[in-house]
Amino acid sequence: MAHHAPVVDPAALREDIGDLAGKFRIPLLLVGVVGLVAAGLLASLSDDGWAKRFLFGYLWAYWFFLTISLGGLFFTMIQHVTRAGWSVTVRRLAEMLGANLWVFAPLSLPLLAGVLFDGAGVWEWADPVLVESGPTADLLQHKEPYLNKPFFLIRCAIYFAVWSFWGWKLYALSRKQDETGDPGLTQTMHNWSVAGLPLTFLTVTFAAIDFLMSLTPTWYSTIYGVVIIAGCAVSVHATLAVIVLLLRKRGTLTEAVTVEHQQDLGKLLFGFIVFWAYVSFSQFLLIWYADIPEETEYYLVRFSHGWTFVMAMLLTGHFIIPFLGLLSRHVKRRDSTLMFWCVWVLFMHAVDLYLFIMPRLTHDAVHAGIEDVGLPLSLVDLACFVGIGGFACATLLTTAAGVALVPHRDPRLKEALAFHNT
Amino acid sequence: MAAADPTAFRDDTPFIGPARAPLVTGGKSVRWITDRVTGLALRDTPWQWTAAFAVSLALTVMLLGNVAYLIFRGTGVWGNNVPVAWGWPIVNFVFWVGIGHAGTLISAILFLFRQNWRTGINRFAEAMTIFAVVCAGLFPAIHVGRIWVVYWLAPYPNQMAMWPQFRSPLLWDVFAVNTYFTVSLLFWYMGMIPDLATLRDRAKNKVAQFAYGIGAVGWTGSSRAWWRYEKAYMLLAALAAPLVLSVHTIVSFDFAVSQLAGWHTTIFPPYFVAGAVFSGFGMVLTLIIPAREWFGLKEIVTLRHLENMCKVIIVTGNMVGYAYAMEFFVAWYSGNAYEAYAFVNRALGPYWWSYWIMVSCNVITPFLFYSKKFRTTPWIIFVISIFVNIGMWFERFVITITSLHRSNVPSSWRYFSPTPVDFMMLIGSFGLFFTLFLLFCRYLPMVAIAEVKSVMPMPEHENLNAPGAHTGQDSINPPQTGDFRTEGAY
Repeated sequence: MAHHAPVVDPAALREDIGDLAGKFRIPLLLVGVVGLVAAGLLASLSDDGWAKRFLFGYLWAYWFFLTISLGGLFFTMIQHVTRAGWSVTVRRLAEMLGANLWVFAPLSLPLLAGVLFDGAGVWEWADPVLVESGPTADLLQHKEPYLNKPFFLIRCAIYFAVWSFWGWKLYALSRKQDETGDPGLTQTMHNWSVAGLPLTFLTVTFAAIDFLMSLTPTWYSTIYGVVIIAGCAVSVHATLAVIVLLLRKRGTLTEAVTVEHQQDLGKLLFGFIVFWAYVSFSQFLLIWYADIPEETEYYLVRFSHGWTFVMAMLLTGHFIIPFLGLLSRHVKRRDSTLMFWCVWVLFMHAVDLYLFIMPRLTHDAVHAGIEDVGLPLSLVDLACFVGIGGFACATLLTTAAGVALVPHRDPRLKEALAFHNT
Repeated sequence: MAAADPTAFRDDTPFIGPARAPLVTGGKSVRWITDRVTGLALRDTPWQWTAAFAVSLALTVMLLGNVAYLIFRGTGVWGNNVPVAWGWPIVNFVFWVGIGHAGTLISAILFLFRQNWRTGINRFAEAMTIFAVVCAGLFPAIHVGRIWVVYWLAPYPNQMAMWPQFRSPLLWDVFAVNTYFTVSLLFWYMGMIPDLATLRDRAKNKVAQFAYGIGAVGWTGSSRAWWRYEKAYMLLAALAAPLVLSVHTIVSFDFAVSQLAGWHTTIFPPYFVAGAVFSGFGMVLTLIIPAREWFGLKEIVTLRHLENMCKVIIVTGNMVGYAYAMEFFVAWYSGNAYEAYAFVNRALGPYWWSYWIMVSCNVITPFLFYSKKFRTTPWIIFVISIFVNIGMWFERFVITITSLHRSNVPSSWRYFSPTPVDFMMLIGSFGLFFTLFLLFCRYLPMVAIAEVKSVMPMPEHENLNAPGAHTGQDSINPPQTGDFRTEGAY
């Protein structure tokens, strides 16, 4: 791997996103507002009650963008902890995703409001009537020391504090290095990452339990947090590759990020797709095999009312097909094919989250005695996706505005520029 | 420490900022590496080796004697009872299989991640892996009871219509462990071919020339041979990487597909894999710290190598701790009385001592490695690595024994106590392990000579981390004499 570093124009390393922020920030915010208003209006047409249907769509879209940003934080920390050299040229993009985590605190307000108003939210445990005398009251009362409103809100505050702080801290330190060129900051970022990585792992685990697993409050799985974190890893590598390819199309990053980094992002994406399949299938197989009623309820609803099709779609679309598709080195090195597979995987990540969340609506409809319950697909979800996506992208552009796209004074930059896959 | 050689102290990982410490220290030449590694295999047998080998062989004979006694008398010679039918044999099996994870992780997964520090330790760790799997394989084979029909596990058509139970993970285990053993052996052997050829060419006596010649399968070192070798290495690495995960995943299925509280939990597959890597690296450290001292390999297995392995211990130890915490949390959260009882019983029941040994060794010990001083002081690493080994044996003890002895039918609850045969077999399995390992240390190249040469600090390599190296100028700086700290990533 002893290749000579290419001659890179130092000015090319200091490029930022240019006028993207100025041009798109306001339109994206408008898209956000319009999307969420549209979602609210569409939800009022739903049979489930407008607040409930809206919040389910909202929760899904929220977690889609949240997992990507959390993935950015994980990516940044792991590069620091492992003292990675190859990834310096793409690390700034992940730092920006991580630094954008703060926006998910205000964006969570509708979900938290749903908890505060009795019976309006998505979580059964937040409805005092159900906890008092619902069909699963015994279990809900058992879990009350954990699943109760004040403690839930305290935990949320801790999650957002940890994510926002570390996302901001690592971004700020890295930008400081842009200014001062102090190689000692690399060690500082390393130290912050060593402390932050386990903390982020734990907070994401419990956030996954609180927001997603507790949708089925009677159900439990110890691997749940790992499955969600696998989704973070899958989605962030796809997102990073998409951002790189788009920016290169605009003529930025063309010198710093080479086809070698592109291939490496593709390799890691491939690896984490396999990892996602590994943990998801492990959870399924163990529950299916042991066949214990408390646990199988989660999959029973996912094998009925049209969800079987979505399960099969995930197995093929989130694992088998992209596994074969991303296997070849040429696919990862060619812009068009890598772009195709990254968009594909991001779509499948959205389907994956959909399967975590929406079968609860089916479950509730069945228990409400509605006949012929089908997949609860709705335009509400799409509108929520557009809405939250608009807000998250607008703040991401603001975060990135005027900041170099490459940590151009990182002492390991030259390693990254010189790096070649053998 | 080789205090006479001032350069010996340059193998310090506490390098400044982002600069990378060299992977071969002491300013050694390429020739020195070949001389040192082949010299270890071709020298006269030292008396210390003979003494150690005699002890190990005696323990192996004790193991075989116990196996013979077991076959003659039956499984009643063990402490196994009903409900604890799995007993120590399965504890030992999982323990040894876990240890057998570090080698192939280092040679396959770290290779794919381009962690070139692996070159100094991979041969050593792969050998350890293979011998650990040999020890592991013994226990389920003798645990079947009627050992003379153990071939029933093999899926072949026959007139008796004895067809294996394909729905049982115990059978998947037979496949998983065998596949892993085969691929690890191939990987290990294939990587050794160039070095065996070197030994063949340097051997003085006819027997050694002939034996190494057979092993080297006509290796000439031509560029075409190297090209194919590297291709094959890459392919085997890609094939072996999922195998590293699959083996302990299947082992975890042995437990987790059941309905027994304490066994049936969904985090088992990644948790077992993390634990296996944790114990594997623990054992590599236990073995390599004395070895680098005795065999004079401190320039090749540097403090940077040791520190990196300690960091792997931190990460995997934390993963194991995470799994313990999740199990405990969910045991309460589930509202399942049996699940909650199983975990309270682990911590406070009759086997409480084993649980707390496990937690102290596996959860608290890795935190000691957060101290840079601890993870760069060989004797401290050595002591901690022993605790890792102990902790991981007790983890398997806790999982197997405590869950079974309070199984679903209270009338069958029974305390498990091991017999002398159990103890002798566990100790004997270490004898078998060390017998094989000492043979390896004596006769085979302990370090991947060619691979280590590829990561040596070379003057012609670029100096990527020198001050000002990121200005975009194309610079080729020879390393400053006597200071490798500013040397590049090689």
